[in-house]
Amino acid sequence: MARMKFLCDVERCINCNGCVIACKQGNNIPVGINRRRVVAINEGRPGERSVSISCMHCSDAPCIAVCPVKAIYQREDGIVLVNKDICIGCGYCFMACPFGAPQFPSGQVFGARGAMDKCTFCAGGPVETFSEKERKLYGQNRIAEGKPPLCAAMCSTKALLAGDADVISDIYRKRAFQRGGGAGAWGWDKAYKGR
Amino acid sequence: MNRSSLVLYVFFLLLCSIAAAAGMALCQNQFLFSPGHESITAAFSQFKGTIVGDWNHYGRLFIEWQPALFRAIFFWTIIGLPLVFLIHFIAIGPKDFSHERGEVFYFSSFTRLVHWVAAIFFSLLVLTGLAVVFGKTFGGGSLIRSLRYVHVVSALVFTVDAAVLFLIWVRDMFPAPYDVKWLLILGGYLSKAKRPVPAGRFNAGQKAWFWLSTIGGGFMAWTGYQMFSFGVEAEALRLAAIIHNFLGAALVGFFIIHLYMSLFAIKGSLRSMITGFKPREEVEIMHSRYKIH
Repeated sequence: MARMKFLCDVERCINCNGCVIACKQGNNIPVGINRRRVVAINEGRPGERSVSISCMHCSDAPCIAVCPVKAIYQREDGIVLVNKDICIGCGYCFMACPFGAPQFPSGQVFGARGAMDKCTFCAGGPVETFSEKERKLYGQNRIAEGKPPLCAAMCSTKALLAGDADVISDIYRKRAFQRGGGAGAWGWDKAYKGR
Repeated sequence: MNRSSLVLYVFFLLLCSIAAAAGMALCQNQFLFSPGHESITAAFSQFKGTIVGDWNHYGRLFIEWQPALFRAIFFWTIIGLPLVFLIHFIAIGPKDFSHERGEVFYFSSFTRLVHWVAAIFFSLLVLTGLAVVFGKTFGGGSLIRSLRYVHVVSALVFTVDAAVLFLIWVRDMFPAPYDVKWLLILGGYLSKAKRPVPAGRFNAGQKAWFWLSTIGGGFMAWTGYQMFSFGVEAEALRLAAIIHNFLGAALVGFFIIHLYMSLFAIKGSLRSMITGFKPREEVEIMHSRYKIH
């Protein structure tokens, strides 16, 4: 079975935030919630880089482990999803996640958090596929349509790759070869220290 | 090829090599960014500080303890303590004091009112808190979500009420030397003999319960507010969740102890919090250092 993965090529990402907008618009995400964000380092200085971050769909996801009501689960293809009908909005998943992926809408009773919202890999949720409820609660189900997630599909420089882990890593490996590391290729600084 | 074009050609070559050397020098100084120059691992690890932060600190502890340890502590607190008390009830049994020698006025009506408000909302806090801890068992969903809201509202009421209770009782709650003796004989609860127990208006167990539920309750309110509002950094949230769980288990434990002591350990002791009077004999034995006036 294929294992779904995101991979953001930091040599290609240009910090355009197109992935964030595509996700937000295409999935009708409320204001204040970003399922995906772009993080930049060394802005305006040499060595400026950016990377697009969302849920990493971890193999051993800490959010699944800490959830007190078992609202989060992992599909066979590795996609981690939340059941919003079970989620109680306690926020433990946010505390467990190293990437800050879980998001919470506010403005419920006494400003209490609603159910957790996070990247679904555009695979909908645990309700009937293509149903109105699925679209409202979780957004599009592009995986069921045979399409890649919105963010990766619209990425202008194709920095953000999404899909089967084997295919993704193959594309990335080819890119790394073509760019050519030369003396800077992986392993050089390990094998020849200080040269 | 004529002479002038040869000179031009050599000059061009020279220019090219100078440019190449300069380019290489710049690259080595990291002055110019060269794609693929550094390893992929190094490229990604630059982001680690910005994205992951100091998750390693409390995040790691939290994901280690939350899935099993916290639930286990709560489980053994609500199963183990009642078992111990059941054994105590069967093996030693409750104490019984006669009302023949009159009664002592112990709790004013205001104290009783404040106590019962605290009792109602603290019970709600315990029950709804346990419902969240064992949310898996109840299947989560809107039931547990509503109980979580009840938890928040009860916390607001209890925090205000506990502050009043703190002011009412604090002067009788400071530790005294004889409290150590009380702890050593476990408050005299291990026998039914009516030997005077070293305790003032409140015994060492009641004092511990008082400080834990007011000061500890304050910590619970503070960490709970952070977890509710999400107003602080993720790292502070993780620490708050860890404190909230450990302290919560301690409070649930003392709550069960308090329930047993007031309902079962001494016959009719619940009445003192309803009418305000304790039997004179009970005060003389269980609170022997308290000066009755």
